Amino acid sequence: MENNREITASVKKRSPWSKFLIYMKRYWQLYAMLLLPIIYLLVFKYQPMKYILIAFKEYKLNTKLWDMPWANTAGKLDVFKYFKKAMNTDFYNALRNNVTLNLLDLFFGFPAPVIFALILNELPFKRFKKTVQTIAYMPHFLSWVIIYGLSVQLFAAGSGLVNQVVSLMGREPIPFLNEPNHWIATYIFMGIWQSFGWGSIIYLAAIAGINPELYEAASVDGAGRFSKMWHVTLPGIKSTIVVLLIMNLGGIVGGAFDRIYAMQNPLVLDVAETIATFVYKNGVKQLKFSLSTAVGLFQSVVGLFFLLSANALSRRLGERGIW
Amino acid sequence: MKRKLVALLLAATMVLSVAACGKEKEAASTTPTPKASSSNTSSSSNTETAKATPTPDPSNGELVNGKFVNTRKITVEVYDRDSKTPADNNVWTDWIKEQMLQKYNVEVSFRAVPRWTEGDQINNLLAAGDAPDICYTYSYPTIQAYANMGGVLDLNPLLAQYKPLLTNLWDWLGDENIYYDQDPKTGTVWAIEGRRNNTYRINTFVRQDWLDKLGMKAPTTTDEFEKMLIAFKDNASTLLGKDAAQMVPFLLTQDVGWTAAPIIESFMDPDITDKELYINGFDDRKFTENGTKEAVKLLNKWYNNGLIWKDFSLHASGDSTGDDMCKAGYVGAFIQNYDYPFRNNEESINALLAKNVDPKAKFVAINCFTDKNGNYTHFSYSAAGDRKSFLPATNTEPLASLLYLDFISSPEVVEYLQIGIEGINHEKLEGGVIKISGVSDENVKYNQNSGQNIDITMTCNGLRLSSDELTRKSLAYGYSGVDVNDVANAMAVAEKDAVLPKNVNVGEIAAEAEGTDLTGKRDATFNQAVVCKPADFDKTWDDGMKTYLNAGGQAIKDEREAAWNANFGSKTMIGQ
Repeated sequence: MENNREITASVKKRSPWSKFLIYMKRYWQLYAMLLLPIIYLLVFKYQPMKYILIAFKEYKLNTKLWDMPWANTAGKLDVFKYFKKAMNTDFYNALRNNVTLNLLDLFFGFPAPVIFALILNELPFKRFKKTVQTIAYMPHFLSWVIIYGLSVQLFAAGSGLVNQVVSLMGREPIPFLNEPNHWIATYIFMGIWQSFGWGSIIYLAAIAGINPELYEAASVDGAGRFSKMWHVTLPGIKSTIVVLLIMNLGGIVGGAFDRIYAMQNPLVLDVAETIATFVYKNGVKQLKFSLSTAVGLFQSVVGLFFLLSANALSRRLGERGIW
Repeated sequence: MKRKLVALLLAATMVLSVAACGKEKEAASTTPTPKASSSNTSSSSNTETAKATPTPDPSNGELVNGKFVNTRKITVEVYDRDSKTPADNNVWTDWIKEQMLQKYNVEVSFRAVPRWTEGDQINNLLAAGDAPDICYTYSYPTIQAYANMGGVLDLNPLLAQYKPLLTNLWDWLGDENIYYDQDPKTGTVWAIEGRRNNTYRINTFVRQDWLDKLGMKAPTTTDEFEKMLIAFKDNASTLLGKDAAQMVPFLLTQDVGWTAAPIIESFMDPDITDKELYINGFDDRKFTENGTKEAVKLLNKWYNNGLIWKDFSLHASGDSTGDDMCKAGYVGAFIQNYDYPFRNNEESINALLAKNVDPKAKFVAINCFTDKNGNYTHFSYSAAGDRKSFLPATNTEPLASLLYLDFISSPEVVEYLQIGIEGINHEKLEGGVIKISGVSDENVKYNQNSGQNIDITMTCNGLRLSSDELTRKSLAYGYSGVDVNDVANAMAVAEKDAVLPKNVNVGEIAAEAEGTDLTGKRDATFNQAVVCKPADFDKTWDDGMKTYLNAGGQAIKDEREAAWNANFGSKTMIGQ
């Protein structure tokens, strides 16, 4: 008895360190698994951050980062030189296009997978549902170069399939890819087509997590299909929608390079140049890494601002936000 | 217990693989640095180079009996044009490797760089410190930009030191090409200019068989060319039958400045001064020249009358859609390199036209764009000013590299690489004239990745045989599967009224490295001005030009003008 009490006392008295050891002994496998993503983040996301310094330095080939001289104009220190250089008319144009295209994408593209998931959820035939789902996912796995190839085959003013039909009906071909406004529509449409199926997965998963009793209860109360969709399903996936919306808003000044680069052509460059292609053409392609980095840094800072404000907004609206 | 073991194992492999990745990355990022540090200083300024050259011994103690004692290793860039054999590993590269090892004890390896994105690729390789020891590119401003960043070796002291060893290089290129790009102020030589053995540049091609079918003569003036295009369009069903809807009277590409070059050049003032040519000469598509707007206005008229390929703007350079349309027989006329329809032997445009469409179908070269004096003024290439070879600062074997350039410039080597093996790549005709033949299927490994291996013979572009006389005679036989007379005609056409560009070397123009995507803006304006409604043409062109000049075009023009004035004073022509 005496002895036992002693043991419990010693357990209670154990230092946090040994508590930690006991804890670790039990769960070390989980932490070992976690090591991989942590190392990944450190190596590929945090370690490269030091190269942000390039934005404030004169980039030199075959030189260590620390040995590159600070940005200067004719010997006079001017660390923000490349920010000033980058912020020209072209940059503002690109920024404007970037925001416009992303907002349009958000406006038209964001609801598409939600609606698709809701419709799919209502389908009673399992096999048909699976087939539709699989087909809708497929475009996600196509590269943008191929999608552009497809859109030329379909929408080119001269040889495109759609326009050949239009011509056969005796009408003027529609300049889907040649005229800026039409091009924007095509661009947004192809984007939705490529991603709505894939984007719906997360909503379908969220829908699957809704308690079936809620539906039963709603039925008992006399709710029809639409009322159930509106009052049960949608509220059930609301938090998922909000999280995704916040993440999308955070990327409003960002955006992938390959989609816009593959889709643009010289006729629509005025509306199709975004920050990603601006950086590629004026920075990377001409080996102006300082300028590219300056723009990239600017982009990240603005992106962070959007992300934080969207998050704050969602918390104010009563949602949980991302953090 | 078992489960624990598996988990442990899994975790261990993951950690190890990550560690391995990390190591690899580290290796890639650190290896170039030590190499660079030794040679980097030598490129930064001219005065320092003499001290930092790898061999302090000017008497070439590195070589014993013309050979390195220890095997040296160099890598050499080669363009990849997606041919039948790998560009960096084929019969010809193997032969070079063998020869270089035997002759100098230098181990050569090749590095394929895609032809149409070469600039981007070399950028990346240089930035990664992983560029081949010998690089080449067509763009001097690019090399200048690398040099400004400390990425290129100054060849000046190296050339001075090793000149006695480089007889073939000097015999072939001469002081003119070797010192072509030497900076007049600092004396640095960042690159050596290759030489073009023929200066034919660009031609207009029309479908001879269509002209015959319609009972028309080949056009001799710009107006007649337009009439011909209209005739092609109006007679689409006669010429193409059920494919009439595919008719493209004139094929333009996204690179308007190139695929309409003779038209643009015919609108320029034939009496233009060297000074004006130089000031606007930074853009090789002649965007800012005095007659370009009128030329594009004509293209705009043609486009809106349905004479030009509707979708030309949608296909980027390197896209083969336009070529395929020519091969399918839908195209009436196009403008391209002087030998374009003959390139690639049995797969050339003309060979495939004859095979797939009609044995009589073919494109022939014509001159028809008349300037204000009624001549066919158009620009040819200059004998210098071709591909420029340079050694990146990471090169630790400058002597071996220069010896390679010497080797690749020697007449026998060039001849062997260009015409290949008798009976496989060529046959000998009367008087020793060389007739190139495409390789048969069983000999496909002898395929030349670029026409006459021009991408391997980097200092020499164009056929170069043991005697100039023989070269001239053999030139037209340089393409198999097509009519020799058509090739000879294309050369004569390219030569007629051709203007040779002059070299103006007034040192670095700093503004040329500054503009914001000038070529992109130029092409956007070219394309938009061709496609817009005729009523909008002036606005489209003027707005585009304004944007272009504001984005850095004007700064380049101003700096060039100032440099000209500083060097030539009030003179407007060179050699006055």
